Amino acid sequence: MKIPLKYNVGSLWVRRVGTLMTALGIGLTVAIFIVMMALVQGLDSTFVETGRPNHLIVIRNGSLNETNSYFNRDLLQTVRLLPGIRPSSSGEPRAAGEILVVINHPRVTGEASNVIVRGTSPLGLELRPDLRLIEGRWFRRGLREVNVSRSLSRRFQNMGLGDTLHMSRSEWKVVGIFDAGGTAYDSEVLTDAEDVAQDWDRPIYTSLLLEAADAAAAQEITRRIADDRRIHLQAISQREYFRGQMVSSVGIKALGGFIALVMGVGSCFAAMNMMYAAVMSRTKEVGTLRALGFSRWSILTSFMVEAALLAVAGGSLGCLMALPIHGLSTGTANFITFSEILFNFRITPRILGEGMVFAVAVGLVGGLLPASRAARLRVIDALRD
Amino acid sequence: MKYFWLLYKNLWRNRRRTLLTLSSIAASLFLITSLLTLLEEMRNPVQTPESALRLITRHKVSLFNSLPIAYREKIAKVDGVEGVMGSMWFGGVYKDPSNFFGQFAADTDKFFLINADMKVPEDQKEAYLKDRTGCLVGNTLVDRFGWKIGDRIHLQGALFQFDPELTVRAIYEGGGDLGGSLFFHWEYFNEGLNNAGFTGTYTVRARSVEEIPQIAERIDAGFQNAPVPTKTETEKAFLLGFISMLGNVQLLITSICSVVIFAIILVAANTMAMSIRERSREIGILKAVGFQNNLVLRLLLAESVLLSLSGALIGSLAARGLYSALNLPVLTSGFLQRLYVSPRILAIGVAIGLGVGLVSAGTPAWRASRRPAVEVLRRVG
Repeated sequence: MKIPLKYNVGSLWVRRVGTLMTALGIGLTVAIFIVMMALVQGLDSTFVETGRPNHLIVIRNGSLNETNSYFNRDLLQTVRLLPGIRPSSSGEPRAAGEILVVINHPRVTGEASNVIVRGTSPLGLELRPDLRLIEGRWFRRGLREVNVSRSLSRRFQNMGLGDTLHMSRSEWKVVGIFDAGGTAYDSEVLTDAEDVAQDWDRPIYTSLLLEAADAAAAQEITRRIADDRRIHLQAISQREYFRGQMVSSVGIKALGGFIALVMGVGSCFAAMNMMYAAVMSRTKEVGTLRALGFSRWSILTSFMVEAALLAVAGGSLGCLMALPIHGLSTGTANFITFSEILFNFRITPRILGEGMVFAVAVGLVGGLLPASRAARLRVIDALRD
Repeated sequence: MKYFWLLYKNLWRNRRRTLLTLSSIAASLFLITSLLTLLEEMRNPVQTPESALRLITRHKVSLFNSLPIAYREKIAKVDGVEGVMGSMWFGGVYKDPSNFFGQFAADTDKFFLINADMKVPEDQKEAYLKDRTGCLVGNTLVDRFGWKIGDRIHLQGALFQFDPELTVRAIYEGGGDLGGSLFFHWEYFNEGLNNAGFTGTYTVRARSVEEIPQIAERIDAGFQNAPVPTKTETEKAFLLGFISMLGNVQLLITSICSVVIFAIILVAANTMAMSIRERSREIGILKAVGFQNNLVLRLLLAESVLLSLSGALIGSLAARGLYSALNLPVLTSGFLQRLYVSPRILAIGVAIGLGVGLVSAGTPAWRASRRPAVEVLRRVG
């Protein structure tokens, strides 16, 4: 025989102040868990969503990423002529030479951080279909002009449309604001490769971006570049390249896990307290239920269900409290490129689900001992109480 | 103090409830102490009398730009400078990219003057200086990778096309990075790069702490109009620059701590409310035998404070004990060099315990203490 759910809801309602406090305690734990996970999710998905499988990034062999790669510009010609590169509308192979530099620049809040400046070309822009100009126009060669992403322009000083940015030896004018659709390119300043090479006095490329005709061609190009010992380059799929930068979130992941674990333990104790109090104050009721013929098992499940209900209430509160941070823009250090990466907090249904599972786990672990105590009560003792 | 026994007895009457509340508060304070310590370690890099004398000169644009070696002599001549050492972040790979640690190609002649806070046996110092391909490694790296004197270390260049073959000649403890880095001869690095002739930053030892701001200004003024301008700052400011890159960690951590404090207030308030409700009759009796309202209030508050203060102390001290016992550099792959729970943070823990105790018992204790004894005692229950 099953004890009706109504009985549990009623019991929670009777001690509503205590119920609310415990639920709120669990809710706060869940809220923090969700916020930390949303941080990790936002950062990770920035990397996951950047790059296409048939686009290849070519960097110097042995270097781990674009910021520490460099090679002779002639190599662009060697790579361009490889078969399998998708031609542009004008028939040219779609392969762009780029030069990446990093500037240390103050945020709006005053403290400085490293920002990637990518010297590229119209072809390079075309190779990144996520880029969308939202204000102004694109940079032109020879004029020391830059385009800044919307997120960067909000977070850093002198990066608004029309502002002048001091970089290396010149003043650079912000002529347009772009949006890169939440990809890693939203953390970059884009300008002309030639201008960067001159101003930084580095007549090199740090990387090439090319588009292969199809997956087989991409593999073939990768193999050819790896086999050609003279050029000493390596090609990585653009998608894999950015996925490799997901290590940037390990610190937040570890911190979030640690916080959730310790807070979860604390909430378990609180839930246990609450459930023990519930069991103690209802000893007589338990005795009556048993006398009416409800089994020990029914009593145990009933109290477990009650604990779970308490936790579900808490979990829902937690989800509600965490929701407003969704979409909030923030930034941290990209461990691979050693520069700022901007992203938005992202709460997914999956994270909310995990938060609820976490809450219910806290409730069940906290409820187990009190419930089994209730189930073990002897009818005669319980009724005499 | 004469009521201590009464408080103790009252707390102990529902042993399970008290222990559960205590554990919940202890877990929360353990968390708060850990987070505050993490924040403190990030905001306050290790300070020694030696590190306070150190300045770092880097390229004005960013750390990614290197500095010419000719700057060394120019900086050495600046008034107030006792010694200059060039060093270059090598950023190579040891066996696997996940084995991350600091690797520097550093000038050797002034090395031990500038890094006087590194503890190295004299014979090892000499052995390191004599061996062109020797390296000096921190003791936490020795723990992580099981190195010993004489071991060969092969680094694979990532930033540079050069794979140094090094021999461990010396092991240091302490220093600004608490034994977390590897140093090798800049000359060897330069040869490996076909005498490219550059370095990353210059570490400067100032004559005195007082002169530091002027020295920084003098150095930067000397290169103001040069093709490669510089930025000089104290070692501490330089290190804090890395922390500020992580974003607003302080806001994140302080908000989490406030939420946790709020959560423990809820837990403790729940406990005190239950415990006071159960005892309303008893409180009536206390008053009937002549206890004043205020004394009753104070007793109830003291009971709550005793509970949360004990929980807070257990949690904070557990964090302190745990972090000093664990070998953090090994456990976290060098991510955390240490977590030192300072007396200041312990004091914050105690203050939180005190506050939580007072706030959580406030309302129920006030009500119970103001309730006329007659009213409570008349009730049959």
